[in-house]
Amino acid sequence: MPSVPAALVPGTVAPVPKGPDGSDADDSGRTIIGFFCRECAYAAADATGNARVPLPTTVRSVLMPCTGRVSPLHVLSALAEGADGVFVAGCLEGQCHYREGNLSALDRVAFVQRLLESVGVEPERVQMFTMSANDSPRFVAATRRMHATISGLPRLSRR
Amino acid sequence: MPLTARGREMLGSLPGVAPKTATDGIGCEIVRHEELCIGCGRCVKVCPSAAIAESALFDPLQLYDAPAGTTRGALGACLRRIARHEPDGSFEVPDRVRTFRTIEFDRDRCLGCGACTRACPTGAVTARPVDGADLGCLAATRSFATAVSA
Repeated sequence: MPSVPAALVPGTVAPVPKGPDGSDADDSGRTIIGFFCRECAYAAADATGNARVPLPTTVRSVLMPCTGRVSPLHVLSALAEGADGVFVAGCLEGQCHYREGNLSALDRVAFVQRLLESVGVEPERVQMFTMSANDSPRFVAATRRMHATISGLPRLSRR
Repeated sequence: MPLTARGREMLGSLPGVAPKTATDGIGCEIVRHEELCIGCGRCVKVCPSAAIAESALFDPLQLYDAPAGTTRGALGACLRRIARHEPDGSFEVPDRVRTFRTIEFDRDRCLGCGACTRACPTGAVTARPVDGADLGCLAATRSFATAVSA
C-alpha cells in the first residue's frame, strides 16, 4: 500500500514551510493552533485550500469532531507547549450538528480567557470564531485576524 | 455524627426508629477529599438535606494544588508554565462550563445518607461508619456505610 504523505491525512498537522535558510518561512516565527470543527470550519478551511487562497503560515490546524470536544486542557497545553495563540472555529450559533457543542466551546474559551487574565497573560491569545461550512471568506478573515492579533503581541514566555 | 434537628425529625418519622440521644447518628461520616473534587456539582443535586451548596466562583490557585495525574493537575502545570504572576483572585465560571464550581459542605446539615458518595464521579467523597455510634436497628445503614467506605 503506498504511504500517504502526512500532510494529506485529515487532522494531521501540515509540515511547517521553510524559508531558504531553513528557518520558518514566516518571519514572525509565531505559532497559532486552530481547533476546527469537522462540520463547518474544517470544511471552510478545505474550500479555502482548494481555492488556493493564501493563508498565514503561522496557523496549524487540528481537526475536531465538534468544537464541544475542545477542553480547557487542549487550549492550555497548546499554549504551554509552544503555541503563541489558540483559536477555536466552530459552527454558527444554533447550527451545531451536536445541538450546542459550539456554545459549550464558547464558554470554555471564555473560561480559559479568564484563567489567562488571572495570571497576567493577554486573554486575546485565545479566541473563538463561528462560521458556516461554505463561508470560506469568513474563515480567511478569522485566520488573518488571529494572525494579526498574535503578531502584535510579544512571544509567550514559558518556564 | 450528631444528628441535626431536621435529621432527628426525619428519623423519628420512620416506624420503629427513634434516636435515643441527640448524638445518635443514622449512617456514615462523610469525608471530602478536596484535591480530587472537580466541582461538577453532582453531589449538590442529590443531597436530600441541602447540606452541599455550589458557587460559580473559581479560584485558579486550586489548579496549582491539584495532584499530578488529574486533569486539574495537568491544567495547573500548563498554567504555571505560562503564568507571569501568581493567580490574582477568583472569577466567575461561565454557565456552560459545568465543572470548576466551588463546593461548600455544611457538616451540620449532613444526614450521613451517602447519596453524594454514590453521585461523585471522581471518588472525592467517601463515607465511613461512625465509631461507637448506637445504630440500633439501623444495621443496614451501617453495613451500607461499611460497603461504601471499603
